[in-house]
Formats: sequence, C-alpha cells, structure tokens
Amino acid sequence: MLHSLRTSVRVLSTSAALSLLLAAAPQAFAATPADTLVEGFAIDDIITIDPGEAFELSTAEVTANTYSKLVMLDPADTSKVIGDLAASWTVSDDGMTYTFKLKPDLKFASGNPLTAEDVAFSFERAVKLDKSPAFLLTQFGLTGDNVAEKAKATAPDTFTFTVDKAYAPSFVLNVLTATVASVVDKKVATEHAKAMTPSADYKYDSDFGNEWMKTGFAGSGPYKVLAWRANEAVIMEANPNYYGEKPKLKRVIYRHMKESSGQRLALENGDIDVARNLEPNDVDAVSKKEGISLTSAPKGTIYYFSLNQKNANLAKPEVAEAFKYLVDYDAIGATLIKGIGEIHQTFLPKGQLGALNDNPYKLDVAKAKELLAKAGLKDGFTVTMDVRNTQPVTGIAESVQQTLAQAGIKLEIIPGDGKQTLTKYRARTHDIYIGQWGSDYFDPNSNAETFTVNADNSDEGKNKTLAWRNAWDVPKDLSDAGKGALLEKDAAKRAATYEDLQKKVLAQSPFVIVFQQTEVAGYSSKLKDFKLGPSFDTNFVYPVSK
Amino acid sequence: MSVIEATLKPYSREWLLSEQPTSRHQARLGRAYVIWRRFSANRLALAGLGIIILLILVAIFADVLAPHNPVQGDLRNSRLLPPGSAGYLLGTDDQGRDILSRLIHGSRLTLFVVVLVAIIAAPVGLIIGTVSGYAGGWVDAILMRITDIFLAFPKLVLALALVAALGPGIENAVLAIAVTSWPPYARIARAETMTFRNSEFISAVKLMGASPFRIVLRHVMPLCLSSLIVRVTLDMAGIILTAAGLGFLGLGAQPPLPEWGAMIASGRRFILDQWWVAAMPGAAILIVSLGFNLLGDGLRDALDPKEAGQ
Repeated sequence: MLHSLRTSVRVLSTSAALSLLLAAAPQAFAATPADTLVEGFAIDDIITIDPGEAFELSTAEVTANTYSKLVMLDPADTSKVIGDLAASWTVSDDGMTYTFKLKPDLKFASGNPLTAEDVAFSFERAVKLDKSPAFLLTQFGLTGDNVAEKAKATAPDTFTFTVDKAYAPSFVLNVLTATVASVVDKKVATEHAKAMTPSADYKYDSDFGNEWMKTGFAGSGPYKVLAWRANEAVIMEANPNYYGEKPKLKRVIYRHMKESSGQRLALENGDIDVARNLEPNDVDAVSKKEGISLTSAPKGTIYYFSLNQKNANLAKPEVAEAFKYLVDYDAIGATLIKGIGEIHQTFLPKGQLGALNDNPYKLDVAKAKELLAKAGLKDGFTVTMDVRNTQPVTGIAESVQQTLAQAGIKLEIIPGDGKQTLTKYRARTHDIYIGQWGSDYFDPNSNAETFTVNADNSDEGKNKTLAWRNAWDVPKDLSDAGKGALLEKDAAKRAATYEDLQKKVLAQSPFVIVFQQTEVAGYSSKLKDFKLGPSFDTNFVYPVSK
Repeated sequence: MSVIEATLKPYSREWLLSEQPTSRHQARLGRAYVIWRRFSANRLALAGLGIIILLILVAIFADVLAPHNPVQGDLRNSRLLPPGSAGYLLGTDDQGRDILSRLIHGSRLTLFVVVLVAIIAAPVGLIIGTVSGYAGGWVDAILMRITDIFLAFPKLVLALALVAALGPGIENAVLAIAVTSWPPYARIARAETMTFRNSEFISAVKLMGASPFRIVLRHVMPLCLSSLIVRVTLDMAGIILTAAGLGFLGLGAQPPLPEWGAMIASGRRFILDQWWVAAMPGAAILIVSLGFNLLGDGLRDALDPKEAGQ
C-alpha cells in the first residue's frame, strides 16, 4: 500500500515537472511587442537626463527624442537649420539680436501650454545651473545676471535672444540645436525645484528642478521619458501632446546591454529590434543573417586619448609627441575598429567645414624613443590610463599599452564604468584618459573650442573644455586663431584658418586622436525607416515603424 | 624482541611499518610512509598531485616554456587565429597574443594567489580557532562572533566589496580572498581543539606546568594541522575560482597580466565565433581546480580516516 502510494506520488511529481518544462518552452520564441521598439544600447554613461546638465552621448539621443528645441538640423541636409518649436526667426541688422516666433498652440507632454516664457526659463535655468554644457550658451555673453535680459519673452509667442558679438548667424543657430537649448516645462520644473542655500559657488535659492529632473521629465518632444534606471533601461512613451507628426510606435525602450555579443544574440533571437553597439566581428556575423539589416552613418565623433598636463612627465612636449608615434594606427584600423570607424588624427571630423584629413603619424618606436631620450626619460616611466569598460576603447587601450611598452613606458590601465572615468576626467585627476568626443553642434567651432580654448587653467576654471580637463595651457595664438575664425563670414577663409589650426594642434597638443567613428546598427528587417543620424542628437526614433 | 628489531634494515619497508619503532625519527617516518601508502592507493589523488606538480613546474619554467611573449602580440597579423595555426598551438586572442604563452605565464599568477591566500588565511584561522577553543568563555564568544560576521556574507560578495574599496589589482584580490576565507579554518580548528582540550594528555602537560601559550602552540595546533591541511587543499579550487571570478569582473589582475579569469572576460566577446579565446583559459581553470580537488580528497582520505567514510 505504502509502496504504491509512493509510486503514484512519483508519477504525479514527474508529470508536474514535465508539464512545467513544456509550459516554459514557448518563451524561447519571445518577440518584441508590435507597438514597441526595443534597442540594445550601452547606456552606462547616462548620469542625468536633465537637458540643462546632460552632456553625454547616450543622453543626447534620449533628450533629442523627448525634448524640443527652438531650431533643429534639417534631417535631410544637416548643413541647414530648420524650425522646431520656432515657426520663423529674424536677425537684427547689427547681427546681435535674434527674434523667434513660436508655432501656435504648443503644449508640453504634461499638458501645460508652451510659451516663450518657458523658452526664456530654459535658457536662464541652463545658464544659472552652470553645469558642463552651460558654456554653449555663456559663450554668447550670457551670465546669471544678464540672462533674464538677454534671453527673454517679449510676447507669449515671441522670444528674443541677444548675443554679445556679431557672430555668423549659422553658428548661433547651429549652437541652438544643441541639447542644452532644449525647452523645459517651467511649471513642472518649478514645482519640483528644491530650495538651495545660496553660497559663493551657487548664488541662487532654487535648483530649478535640477535634482528632480535627473530622472524626471519636463519636455515636449515626440516621446516622453517614463523612466530611466541607471544601467538598466530608458523607457519612452509617445507624447500625445506633440505638435508635429505623431510617432508611429507607442513605446521605445533602450535596454542597457554592454556586450556586443549579447546584443547580437538578442537581436538574432528577436529579443531586441536594434543592436547599437556591435563590434567588428559581430557586425560581420550579423550581416550574413537573414532578417537582419545593417545601417551606418559617419559620426562627428572622434576617439582620442589625452595626456593630463598636471603630470610632470606628460607635460613635456617631446613626450606628447612620442605618444603620437606610439600608436599602431594601421593595425588598429584594420582590426579593432574595422567597419566602425576609420583612422583620423585631426580634431575636426571628416564632413565638417575645414576638416583636414591628414594622418601624418605612424607607429615609429625608434623615433618615439629618441623623443623620450630628448625629454630626459630614456628609461621610460609609469603612467595610468582611465579606461571605460566598453569596446573599442578597452581594445585600443590594450594595444596602446603594448606599443608604449616597446618604448619603455609602462601603462597601467584603470578600468571603470563610464560614470567613474568621466567623473575623474572632469575633476582633472587622471593621468591619461581615453574616450570619445562628439561635437555639440554641427560647426567646426565646437571642436575647435573644446580642443584649443582654455581661458582659466586653474581647478576653478568655469569653461570645462577638453583643453581645461587636461590642464593644457593652450598657446595664445592657437586659441585666438579659433576665435577669429568664428567671426569670419567668408566660408573659404574660415576653412583655411581651421586647417592651419588643426596642423598646429596636431603637432603641439596633448591629444592623441586615433579615429573617427562610423556608427553601425544592426536591426530587424521588420523595422521600417530606421536610420542613424549624422550626430548623436539626430538619431531620431519617431519615424520608425514596424 | 629487540633481536628482531635489530635485524630490520633501516629505511626498509618493514622498518618503516614496524609496530615498535625504536626512535622518534623512525616513528615519524613510519607514519609518513603509512599516509603515503594510503594516499597513493588512490589513483585519482595521484592524478591530482600530478596536475599540481605540473602546474608548479610550468610556473617555474614559464620563461623557457612559453613560445611567445605573453603581453606583446602582433595585432596586425596574428589576431584571433584558431588553435593549431602555425606557431600558435592554442590560437591567439584579440590583441594577437599567443594564448598558450599567456596560459603558461598565467599559471604563475594562479599559484601566486593560491599560495599567498593559503599562507595568510590558514595561520590566521588556526590561531583564532585554537585560542578560542582552548580559552573558552568570553574570548571564545568574542572571537566566534567575529567569525560569524565574516561567515554571514557570501564569500564572493564580501571579496567584491573589499576589492571595490581597496581598488582593483591582484594584490588586493589576494587580500580580499584571504580575509574572506579564514573563518571556516577557525571553525574547524576550534571544533578540533574542543575535542581534546579536556583530554588526559593535555591535563598531563598542564600538571607539568606548561603555560596555556605553550599548550596551544605545541600540543593543540599540531593536532589540528591535518584537518586544516585537508580543508585548505580542498579550498584551493575555490580560491582559484574566486580569483578568476574577480578577474572576470575586472577587479582582479589588470591588463595586460595574463590572469585566467581576465582572459575569459576578454574572450567572451568572441565566444560565438572564436570560442577558443575564452575556452582555453576556462579549460586551464577547470583542470587546475580539479587537480586541487582530487589532491584534497586524497589527502583527506589519507590524513583523516575517520572522515573518509562520510
């Protein structure tokens, strides 16, 4: 009796286990929902989604899809600027005052009306918060004291913007396409503002909602951000109040996936629709799969490593030059970045006005040793490099580590996630930093400024350009050349100035620029109209449908 | 009787196995011989010992054995070559470095970690355990609560926290693993100590006026050693895995060091198309861990017969 009871229990439990297995099996064929776009994307560099503070590449894509600006680049021809929120604009005869007329009946995702008041608030907020991207606006002479006067709403639908010099209008408009000029919902931001105690560093009694907007949303773009969870996902939903053409898909989810191979597997299994960080070997493999397409676009992003001039060894000009001879550009181009970039050594990416496509440096250990000997470092030295834990930078860092070793320089790699390495870089406590730089707006001045302007080289310096981050006290003739080009209305002359500047920077700067990125994405052929834009804030997802 | 003893040839099998050793020396050698016989009767244990000896030899002669430089590769010409390519028996990795040479040099790091952890953790555990077991009372209570605190965390999680605080690097990884692995040794030593703290031979030593310090050091510790050695040997596989785990997470050895766990981490990107980059160091870890486990099992059977049946 007991025996037979046991047998039946065994049969029961076995069949229960079997049915569980059977029930679980169909999950292997999971597909993404028909109204949702799921992208696999390494989003570990996002530290905030507040457009007044965000200055990271992945964030640029999120804010571009969720916030509107006065003007935007024409997706069809990026050399032109078209109105986004602005219906039209005029420039005064002296070239100093810009008047924007807003489109009628604009609304934020929250339902609040969008008026010139909000535009003025957004400018004031960005300038007063004075976070990393604030310099884009303050370069026009805006300060916390005069911003209310220089960027103001003269009527509910009219916004006037006064700059301090007669810049080329295309330059001003190009800058206004940057993330920092995104229009923020004044009501929502003010509701969530936190009281601050004014201090010497921060003179205002409110944080303008900055802390809340780190994860909160107050925009008017085609999508609204439902949630951002660090190193997990960004979830966006169609904004019913968007003034323009409604997005075709209801939801867009950016899933944090760091590994290229993980993204490839997920793409092949249909777990994600788009894989954004495919590495060369996975691009190769994916391109042979049926049902998966590839799209690519050259980006205004260059990968470089930079030598902090606070380090006594790295500050020697011969050492900086030696580093430029100690990168195996050809081998890196043929292997590590094949298909996702091409070797490029000047600071202006191919495609921008005046970009110089000379690549004079080659791996030359003997020459580098000679330079090191000249600098009194015949026996080499030890130095650290902060490396974000993603490809291709880790691969390049390891390759550079090997070539440096041939000249006696011992490179210690300090790995970290995007947040750690960037924070250290911005605090100027690194030795060598390897990373990428994406132009803030489509104008040569963006890169010229960040690479060659460093007005205040002290730790308190406000203009946190790349030159400042590496404590490079830029020779005056270099920064002046860039500034002069900014006011030059003749495009050919302007281009010539930039070309000359690039040659000098190439020779003197502590920046070793390695390659220019080509962004590749593998996507399911079910998607229609999936395209990558020419910059990180033009990777729009709203035209995509399934 | 003594006549028979006298006829035994010194160091012969009979001399070693004699029931009535005439000197301490003979008794010790005899005991060692018995242990060795018990150990060598176990084929698997011998295989384990063989693997470990091989590992040590490879580590010593790494410079001679490695066909290529483990940290310098030829990115342009020899990237991701499959196993069996000319000159690269086990293939090359994504930086064009020879995997075999990296494995050979990596054996040094593995041994370095294992030996250092054993040297740091085992004595600490032994001292804390024996003192706690012999002293009893509040000393025991305090020491064991501290041990409890360490045991309350999963080993790898605690090691991760420590490395994150100390900064990545192989020395810090060793330290972190050592800090997390002494508590079980303390527990074992304490349990063993408790079993003989009230036995007659300890009372006899006490009567002869030995200090507690001397009793613990000379009479308790030696008796705890054999079970400790077994436990440490069995744990070595775990230590290797933890070190590899830290390396895999980027918190152990830093590039370009050919640490096996870090090698797997860098190879996992290619696992779909170039399986060997991750599989080779994985196999190395598997074999060495297996070796330590087999050796530990054999040692337990030989040193600790009462546990062998369990």
